[in-house]
Amino acid sequence: MKAVLFERKPARYAAAAVAGRIVPGRGASVGPLRLADVDPPELPGDGWQRLRPRLAGICGSDLATIDGRSSRYFEPIVSFPFTPGHEVVGDLDDGTRAVLVPVLSCVTRGVEPLCPGCASSQINRCERIAFGHLEPGLQTGFCTDTGGGWSIALVAHESQLLPVPKAMPDEQAVMVEPTACAVHAARSLRGPIDTVAVLGAGTLGLLTVAALRAHADVTTIMVTAKYPAQQRLATELGADWVAAPAELARAIRSATGSFVVGGRPTGGAEVVIDCVGSADSLTQALAVTRPGGEVLVVGMPGHTSLDLTALWHRETGLRGCYAYTVDDFEAALGLVGEADLGRLVSATYPLSRYEEAVDHAANAGRRGAVKVAFDLRDEKERTR
Amino acid sequence: MPRPGFVLEVDGSTPPILFHHGEGFRLEKLPAGRSRVVYPGEPLEPIDDVDQAIEDALLHPLDTDPLPALLRPDMKLTICFDDVSLPLPPMKRPDIRQRVIEAVLDMAAAAGVDDVHLIAALALHRRMTESELRQAVGDRVYDAFEPKGLLYNHDAEDPDNLSFLGTTDKGEEVEINKRAAESDLIVYVNINLVAMDGGHKSTATGLASYRSLRHHHNVNVMRHSRSFMDRHSSELHHSNWRMGEVIRNAGVKIFQIETTLNNDTFGQDGPMSVLAKREWEWSTRDRAAFVGLQQGVKLLKPAARRKAFQTWRAPYGLTSVTAGAVDPVHERTLERCFEQHLVSVEGQTDILTMGLPYICPYNVNSIMNPILVMCLGLGYFFNMYRGKPLVREGGVLIMTHPTPWEFHPVHHPSYIDFFEQVLAETTDPLEMEQRYEKQFAEDEWYRHLYRTSYAYHGVHPFYMWYWGSHALEHLGRVIIVGGDPKAVRRLGFKPASTMADAFEMASDVVGAAPTITHLHNPPIVMADVT
Amino acid sequence: MGSLSKLSPAKVTAQLPFPYRAPTVPRGVEPLPEEPKLGAHYDTDWARRFPARWARAVILEAALRPAVRVLADPERRGYDRLAGLEPPVIFAANHHSHVDAGLLLTSLPEPFRYKVFAAAAADYFFVNRVAAAASALALGAIPIERSEVTRRSADQSAALLDDGWNMVIFPEGGRSPDGWGQHFRGGAAYLSTRCGVPVVPVHMEGTGRILPKGRNRPRPGRTRVTFGTPMRPADGESSRRYAARIEDAVAALADEVSHDWYTARVRAHAGQSPDLTGADLGGWRRTWALGDRKPIRARKRRWPDL
Repeated sequence: MKAVLFERKPARYAAAAVAGRIVPGRGASVGPLRLADVDPPELPGDGWQRLRPRLAGICGSDLATIDGRSSRYFEPIVSFPFTPGHEVVGDLDDGTRAVLVPVLSCVTRGVEPLCPGCASSQINRCERIAFGHLEPGLQTGFCTDTGGGWSIALVAHESQLLPVPKAMPDEQAVMVEPTACAVHAARSLRGPIDTVAVLGAGTLGLLTVAALRAHADVTTIMVTAKYPAQQRLATELGADWVAAPAELARAIRSATGSFVVGGRPTGGAEVVIDCVGSADSLTQALAVTRPGGEVLVVGMPGHTSLDLTALWHRETGLRGCYAYTVDDFEAALGLVGEADLGRLVSATYPLSRYEEAVDHAANAGRRGAVKVAFDLRDEKERTR
Repeated sequence: MPRPGFVLEVDGSTPPILFHHGEGFRLEKLPAGRSRVVYPGEPLEPIDDVDQAIEDALLHPLDTDPLPALLRPDMKLTICFDDVSLPLPPMKRPDIRQRVIEAVLDMAAAAGVDDVHLIAALALHRRMTESELRQAVGDRVYDAFEPKGLLYNHDAEDPDNLSFLGTTDKGEEVEINKRAAESDLIVYVNINLVAMDGGHKSTATGLASYRSLRHHHNVNVMRHSRSFMDRHSSELHHSNWRMGEVIRNAGVKIFQIETTLNNDTFGQDGPMSVLAKREWEWSTRDRAAFVGLQQGVKLLKPAARRKAFQTWRAPYGLTSVTAGAVDPVHERTLERCFEQHLVSVEGQTDILTMGLPYICPYNVNSIMNPILVMCLGLGYFFNMYRGKPLVREGGVLIMTHPTPWEFHPVHHPSYIDFFEQVLAETTDPLEMEQRYEKQFAEDEWYRHLYRTSYAYHGVHPFYMWYWGSHALEHLGRVIIVGGDPKAVRRLGFKPASTMADAFEMASDVVGAAPTITHLHNPPIVMADVT
Repeated sequence: MGSLSKLSPAKVTAQLPFPYRAPTVPRGVEPLPEEPKLGAHYDTDWARRFPARWARAVILEAALRPAVRVLADPERRGYDRLAGLEPPVIFAANHHSHVDAGLLLTSLPEPFRYKVFAAAAADYFFVNRVAAAASALALGAIPIERSEVTRRSADQSAALLDDGWNMVIFPEGGRSPDGWGQHFRGGAAYLSTRCGVPVVPVHMEGTGRILPKGRNRPRPGRTRVTFGTPMRPADGESSRRYAARIEDAVAALADEVSHDWYTARVRAHAGQSPDLTGADLGGWRRTWALGDRKPIRARKRRWPDL
């Protein structure tokens, strides 16, 4: 069975880190990623099913892994070799289409009793992601036992599967997983909020805008977007103001009528959602959040160096925002249809052209794309 | 004997024509047979003994007593003067304001007047810096009054220092500087570089607050000022005149002094003199100077280039100084202005071309940002007409300017936001007036910068846009040659890389073989279109 | 020994025959009176010919100007009052110190700077050949009798003014003995009237602290040179009155420096400019009151230049 495999090869990983820093996406060719012929993963037990991906998206966290940018934090909670791909819509053996909820929580691992997170249905807060009868792995796509979306087949626990309505095209369905992240972030905001700034208008940023409009009580949404296509989509999805990152501070100052000290606005947005996760974006987020406001980190940050004086002085809250609950997933399933989020899928590739696919995803903004996915519907092995 | 301005019909042997292009120049060949160039008049003979002329004007004012007769030891005297936006470029020292103010003060000293204030009447412009004030009033006056806090910039946002004088019969509120309003005599010292300046506009605009200014600095008024360089056809001026009457009825006494300058912007010799000459009269030396200037400018980085140009001081000569009551003084000033600037032009044209120079009223010692490019072209130059616009309705305006996406962070903070936030949404002056003006005008941060730093008022970029609203309504298309395409598009105009491309693009609007008129400005020329 | 004494120059000249040595005067013959070559009679024409002018320009720019900058750190004002003024012009200044001439000459703007002569005391600058030549070359000095207006020096100055040369003169006739000024003499006024040349009053402040009369070693300090509005004689005005008016103008400039321009104008119009000579003060108060005459220095710039 064809699968893209990510192996534990420190030397290659280091090479990928160097290459990825020079040319984003180059880690795919020099790093520990290869297209392999592997045995299909075995069903780990009862309640598990085989899922044959139709579309599998390439996520920012995948790119970070491939380009050697991910934090060592992940080392104990992934298991090698693994097949990436956690944004998956696929066919079950009985022919029904389903989207995958990739979090490998207590239930999937056969852990009893459930951890406090899972007990309260917050599977994204599961404390047992390295335990139970599965190898460590926070999600499908990072666990050697389950396989991943960038292959002909993977295995999924029935708690991980949500059926897709018949009318929904695959392109919409593959967007459900990232949309669920955005919905999770949007639903975590309390009360009416005057101004929210969303940093970054890649997949996550755009989906966050859509989710904020649908699931949060926000008056003004301001978005920074580097590229014209992103700016257009952000406006379409409900942003009130979209412009280049360098203009954000001035726009927020003007929108909130604040003063300026040392080049920073004295006030700012109540909530800033960082969908980039770089040191630059986090620094900017802290600078444009009003005193007592909150920065929500939705994009995966990794190892970052930051000046936190502003955070201390302005009593800024800094909150992470990881994944989703099954509830969020169901809400996302509705939102992708309502907001027609399938249009964000800009390009699809067969597995054999995985290097190109990764390159395209890594340079999506510049190339006018948003989401790049693998299309496995036409793979020959699939019908065997 | 200086030669008057004239209209040149371009033929096959007409040399390429000079276009100003920011801190640079272009030579453009205009199509023969259907193009013409409006040339400014040569500098009028200046007054030889300036100090004597000033004294004569002060001792023999129009329709009022001589200045010494108006001065008493115990009176409150306020001398107001035009700000850094006049003249353009700044003149060689001593500035004419200094010479007039010293003459006025000398008479005040003779009368023993103790309570004297000097106010830079800058309305919503940025405050003048020390060196700019020194340039305007001279070191002696500066050192005598500034340290005691008696020489300062007008503050249109100081609630404690404005006084409301009433409303005009059209409901326009009149609110001006309190010190000026409560003075026994205001002496206003004008430099009337163009016909727009002076008259009742000096006091009613220069010393006013936003509350008062918005009644004539708005789209409707500007669209009905045709042109705002022609006081008698300008709603802007009608409104100011109505306000002037309210000021007069409130008992405020104004001794108006207006001065006019000749066209000697670039000097008779020296590196810039070639810019004032007619192309076919360029001598070998002129051509060498021009090539040297053009190539030298290219070697400099933009900031250095700007600095080099901004240090230019024009050797203007004084052509008149008139004092007395506002109306008769202004009429005489207008005559002198028109005598220097006005050129008769027969009929309108399909395409109007103009080369925009490095300076406009709002970027002295600063950066000419895209909004100012629009204002200089569609506001000032377009309105350099009496009668009808030079270009027909639906015609095309082609301007040359590099139009960099660049703003002076201290002088133009609200411009940046206007460009990024307002122009990104709309270029329609009416829409922006309704949707955004209030927010910018009342922004506390802009107010703070205007009052304590050197920033133009928050609402000022809107005024720049309104200044061009008559042209925006009139024109079919605006093309900027050689500008930053992104910035030009943000203005709602079309970018072109060469003049030939621009003519090609214009033909979509005005058809093939259109007539072309080039306004050869500066030095200043104003078309009397019949 | 003998050979050495033969080489003595005195012996050699003594042995030279007549055409090779000065003649002796026969007894009974009245020798011609020796024509005076020094003092007021020193001929300075050579100093206004091309090589000397060129050398003077070099001395002015390369030696005098740097020296003045180090010693006197001058702040120069009022050039704007000279706008449109054309040579020839008489610059009449107050006089405290030897620094004054250098300071004033380096302060002159174009077109006056390189075609100027200075009136210098014949009994001080022209006492010997070396001093006279140096004064004439470096300062463009011509000798003037300080005690009286002699015909010779007046004619010479007038001829130079008529020829388009500008003049620098200190009408007090000498340096201040005690820090206060002396009344202006009539020379500048007379020449202005006679040649129809305007007088520019100039006030120099601070040179007295650098090198006052009676001290040899200068003490570097700060000075201020202020040019006033050019003056012309009124119709039928006597030199005395005109000279007094020039003195008043310099006094008003002094007032402008120590107070401000407007206050100075108010007082000048009221005839209340503080007297330069301290005439109304006697005894210890003359020295005491000098302290009040220091100028108000421009404070540090409070506003940034953007």
